[in-house]
Amino acid sequence: MTRVWLLLLGAAATLGFAMVVLVVLPGALLVRIEPSAGLAPYGEREARGRAVYIADGCVYCHSQQVRDPSFTSDVDRGWGRRASLPADYVHDAPHLLGTMRTGPDLLNVGARLPDPSWHLIHLYDPRAVVPWSIMPPFRHRFELRDADAVGPGDTVVPLPAGRVPEGQVVVAKPEAIALVAYLLSLRRDAPPGAAALLDVDSRFWCGQGDEPRLARRGEAPAAETPR
Amino acid sequence: MSAAPADARREEIAIRASADASSRAPVLVFFATAVAWLLFGSLAGELASLALHWPDLLGFASFLTFGRIRTAHLNAMIYGWASLAMCGVSLWMIPRLVHQQLSWPRLAMAGAALWNVGLVIGIGGILAGRNDGLEWLEMDRALADPWLVAGGACVGIPLLATLARRTVDHLYVSVWYVIGAFLWFPVLFLVGNWPFGGVESAAVNWFYAHNALGLWLTAVNVGAAYYFIPKVLGRPVYSYQLSLLGFWTLAFFYALNGMHHLIGGPLPTWMITTSIVASVLMIIPVVAVAVNHHMTVVGRFAALRYSPTLRFVVIGAMAYTAVSLQGMFTALREVNRITHFTQWTIAHSHVGVYGFVTFVLFGSMYYVLPRLAGREWPSARLIQWHFWLSLGGIGLYVVALTVVGVLQGLVLLEPSAPFQRSVEVTIPGLYARSLAGLVLGAGHLLFALHCAALLRAPARRAMPALLEARPVVVRDAGAVQEPAS
Amino acid sequence: MIPSSVAVVAMVLLLGASALALFVWAWRRGQFDHLDEQSRAVFDARDPRIERPWESEAQRRERERAHGPPLPAQPGEWGGAA
Ligand code: HEC
Repeated sequence: MTRVWLLLLGAAATLGFAMVVLVVLPGALLVRIEPSAGLAPYGEREARGRAVYIADGCVYCHSQQVRDPSFTSDVDRGWGRRASLPADYVHDAPHLLGTMRTGPDLLNVGARLPDPSWHLIHLYDPRAVVPWSIMPPFRHRFELRDADAVGPGDTVVPLPAGRVPEGQVVVAKPEAIALVAYLLSLRRDAPPGAAALLDVDSRFWCGQGDEPRLARRGEAPAAETPR
Repeated sequence: MSAAPADARREEIAIRASADASSRAPVLVFFATAVAWLLFGSLAGELASLALHWPDLLGFASFLTFGRIRTAHLNAMIYGWASLAMCGVSLWMIPRLVHQQLSWPRLAMAGAALWNVGLVIGIGGILAGRNDGLEWLEMDRALADPWLVAGGACVGIPLLATLARRTVDHLYVSVWYVIGAFLWFPVLFLVGNWPFGGVESAAVNWFYAHNALGLWLTAVNVGAAYYFIPKVLGRPVYSYQLSLLGFWTLAFFYALNGMHHLIGGPLPTWMITTSIVASVLMIIPVVAVAVNHHMTVVGRFAALRYSPTLRFVVIGAMAYTAVSLQGMFTALREVNRITHFTQWTIAHSHVGVYGFVTFVLFGSMYYVLPRLAGREWPSARLIQWHFWLSLGGIGLYVVALTVVGVLQGLVLLEPSAPFQRSVEVTIPGLYARSLAGLVLGAGHLLFALHCAALLRAPARRAMPALLEARPVVVRDAGAVQEPAS
Repeated sequence: MIPSSVAVVAMVLLLGASALALFVWAWRRGQFDHLDEQSRAVFDARDPRIERPWESEAQRRERERAHGPPLPAQPGEWGGAA
């Protein structure tokens, strides 16, 4: 028998690992990430909302990444003004980049849909605002109450008529309010960071072209929902 | 290899019998609990599927909302069904292959118990809204994972101890795969659960999830295929060199693959490109295994009409080739820009975890369980039904979701197409998938009942439950006899 | 970035290195010698001689030439239980 393939394999493996150690590792060590411009850590309520987002599994239907416009339509769809960068995620632990788009990307949903009431209605009963939606309702984050049992501190969800039993109202639980605060905080479309060096690095590392790309359809498609 | 002296032969049979006896109890426990999780996972998967086209169906209970029940399905199938059944197959194969009794079988039993406790806590937690937030690693890292780690160790340690006390010199290729899997998986699981942040969290997440497939699920099941195919056919693998080449290239290339789940995402291009290159390199181990299995079976495909084991395992091996080639193709940017984020991915993962892993595990259990029980499967017809329900179900599942996945991807790439269209084109596929889920679930139910009947009922047949009771006409039509018992 | 890359690269290296170590061990221990013999390690002595009902006459003769006269399957062998 011949052992040629064994030798080839051993050689390839050695080469491969040498390459990783010698080329890739030092290259990787040269870059550091700072938060992108204006990106603040989550406030307490947003962080709570993020935990609800995880607990209820929004990530299995919604991504949070805007990909390079040179080979996707993410930017053209109005999901963000530029591709997202590592700098946009420094406060995210764990990441929620997602792998499915059963629903739209949410990385910039705070810019696109800034109205908290819309979100509350949508979370309680998605088909009340989007008839073709297949998003599940998240009723357990709300309470159904008699209309006269509502206190001054309660947030009543302004559902369209006919969506709640007569004489009752839907009150958002604190988790629902936190979740909406988190959604509204999702806005990662500021022009890439001011520090020029960093900027170049992150673009290089993310495989974008030389020009930071902005939405081709002119200004930010704020508040306009693409559907 | 001709006519070994009679007492040597008798001794060999004694070795096999004592190996089988040593692993019997733990293997039975692993298989029984695996089947229980298979049923639970099927139910959860079906509910998740229904929730996608009838979104208001399950809104009344928090634990039934899509995000939770879907996640319970994944974890029940991967860590419940597949992993437990794989532990059973490993515990059964290794003592046989190294001609030694299983060391510390009680420890392995304890492992099954610990692992199952971990699953109940972990999956119960997911349903109650305790989720670590990383795909494939949702089970609570403080409350559930320690049980799993302890349980896994209680399986791995007896296996390694058995290996250390082996009475054979050479390690058969299946041993390589199984032992490799049991060495790699704990490392992967620990790193995967390390709480990273930012995009590193994503990189580590997909590093883990992809390797859980490649170095755990794939490794054990390819190892099993390398055992059962030659064993049933009575023919050695076509090329043993090729089988070792396949193992070592898998070991070297697989670890680099994970970042292809993040193509286009906010990660350094070099990482993603490295993964794409490694994904394409996977053609070496995949083709090595495919050619080898095919050439082993070639000319004997008629055997698939007799042996339930062979039928399931050979189809599983074919699905392995298919899913790997599909994965390689999907890792190319041109394809990925269409298929990423769509139902295509769901179809792909089911070719892998069902068509390949689950089929090989069914086949293995059809071989192992009667040997543990000391009696034959009660009904050949039930096996037939199980086989055709599984094959028909997964076929429908994969075709339906692949087609609507491509449509969905094309709509999403078209900036002027409203998002609504991307939802609407998937709906027929989602209905078909629910139907497929029912078919698969029916097959699983039959299988579970059949297992229960095998273990509980007294022996009713002396002959093995072969699918083909009457002789088949083979190509060069020689005299064909009734199958020997 | 870079903790990310460091963690992942280190992991890849660790796994690759463990594979390499296993490989070297296997080589040293002669696991790559006598491959033909090894491919038969799945079989007990009787296995290749047991009759397989699906085989053609030619295949049966080939089996007989290579392994000796056929034996009827005993319990616990290819198709049956122990
Ligand atoms: C079964 C998949 C699914 C799950 C799970 C899901 N969604 Fe959705 N989501 C959708 C679909 C489909 C749409 C598009 C139709 C619509 O607007 O309802 C959508 C739309 C949205 C939108 C509007 C986005 C836009 O640009 O119009 C928001 C905000 C949203 N979802 C938030 C959430 C949150 C928060 C969760 C978790 C609590 C969640 N979704 C869980 C499928 C899902």
